[in-house]
Amino acid sequence: MDPITLLIILVCIIIGGMLGSLGVHLLPVGGAPAAMATATGIATGCVMLMTGSAMTGLFTASTVAAFWDSNPSVLLVSLSGGVGAMLMIGFSMFIANLLYIFGVGVVPVSGQVAVDPITKEPQTEYMTPRTSGHGVPSVAYYSGMVGGLTGGFGGALIYVILLSGEYAGFSAATAAIVALGIFIANAIMAAYNIGGTIEGFHDPKFKERIVTGLTCAFIVSLMCGILVLITIETGALGGVM
Amino acid sequence: MGKEEKKPKEKPTLSFDYFNETRLGVLALVVGVIIAIVPFSASLPAVVKGIGAMVVILWGADSVRKTAGHGLGTGVPSIGVLAVGFGLVGATTGMAIGSAAYDKVGPIGILGVLAGVALMAVVGYVTGVLANSDKFIGMKIPGLERGMAELAMAGTLAIILECSIVAGTWHLDDVIVSDNSISPVAFIAVIFIMVGFGMLQPLNSSMGADERRGRTLLMAIEIGGINCVILGVVTVMSLGVVQGALLIMLGAIVWVIFYRAYVKACLEESYEVVGTGLIKTLGG
Repeated sequence: MDPITLLIILVCIIIGGMLGSLGVHLLPVGGAPAAMATATGIATGCVMLMTGSAMTGLFTASTVAAFWDSNPSVLLVSLSGGVGAMLMIGFSMFIANLLYIFGVGVVPVSGQVAVDPITKEPQTEYMTPRTSGHGVPSVAYYSGMVGGLTGGFGGALIYVILLSGEYAGFSAATAAIVALGIFIANAIMAAYNIGGTIEGFHDPKFKERIVTGLTCAFIVSLMCGILVLITIETGALGGVM
Repeated sequence: MGKEEKKPKEKPTLSFDYFNETRLGVLALVVGVIIAIVPFSASLPAVVKGIGAMVVILWGADSVRKTAGHGLGTGVPSIGVLAVGFGLVGATTGMAIGSAAYDKVGPIGILGVLAGVALMAVVGYVTGVLANSDKFIGMKIPGLERGMAELAMAGTLAIILECSIVAGTWHLDDVIVSDNSISPVAFIAVIFIMVGFGMLQPLNSSMGADERRGRTLLMAIEIGGINCVILGVVTVMSLGVVQGALLIMLGAIVWVIFYRAYVKACLEESYEVVGTGLIKTLGG
């Protein structure tokens, strides 16, 4: 394959991996404390949230990609992956909020900011003492939606660039599993970077750690991308439908 | 109290004292590699590959125990899923290199599959450095670099072996374009979570005070058995009844033996057990 195409594939894998990492940093991940409603966010780990939404994104992306015979539109398929992931994370946050509000009986409130940066609603007064927030407040919800969009877009970008006949030309299943592998490696490095919990872009942790997270995502995606390029160069996978 | 702590001694046959972390790793790597590079012309029966997959999963679970025992902050599952995530990329690369080399230079090209394992070890090591180094994430977990390299290798080998069980060989012509009734490549998604489950679940369920290596690893072998049962069902459809039935039998026997051993170890080593009646049959 000519070097320009290989370079485009490598760059797209790196961009996809970095977008996935950015998406994880934007999600409202509560972890174990959120299970007791003593921290803001959804009560599970980054890995489950991001893998769940990215896989939904891959489903929508592969459905959209099936409308083309061999060379799907990269932008449209990636965007549809983003929309799928966004819907999934949106539903997760909505159901989590229903449980927190009507089941546990707490007000969704951010523990990291005194005033919601978007809606300007006061936060601190509603927070139960000795907790660090509960539920998914508005700002975390917006942040999570953007996170789902970027993460899903990144995952679907890797998928479509590996699937498209113009670029790598893998079969749909192979493209999906390779995209999933690269995406998961990046999502977990991002999860380690934020130490398990984060509220979203308004969390001070986001500013502190985002550069490190993206650097790691760059290096991990670069290495995985080189492996994928070696795979493409062997020709054992190319053009198989 | 001092006497009670000696209790674990009573199961010498099922302890892993001789196979410490390094020996177990070397054994699993050697077994996994040997089973992976057997020539296609004399393809090994699925049962032998099943044993290989179990040993490799055991190694992965041991590496997870070694690294996640210090507390990751994101839960044990993350590192097990990381191992299989790397494994997907590494296995695809390894199988592609191996298949291309086999087609070009003949049977000796089978060794090409090891390139995937070796490359993944490098990626895993660099990832471990990134995660542990103060300049980057700074997790400060002793031995994380080695652990991640081992996990990446174990994940890659496990996925290659399990693909090979389902498809007959790991040659991509068999794995991707197959005239079998079941397309093995679609099954990789299930293999992904089964291998991940085998690596992450032992520590995830056994961790806490008084976690003992011998007991945790019993569960890894048990999940290896479950893997073999599920793979056996698929193998019945892809390769035929004989291969599949043998694999299911092996898996079921391993599952029952190690489930009993694990539950017995739990019952014996705990201070007191108040049964709910669910596992009464084991004499609890």
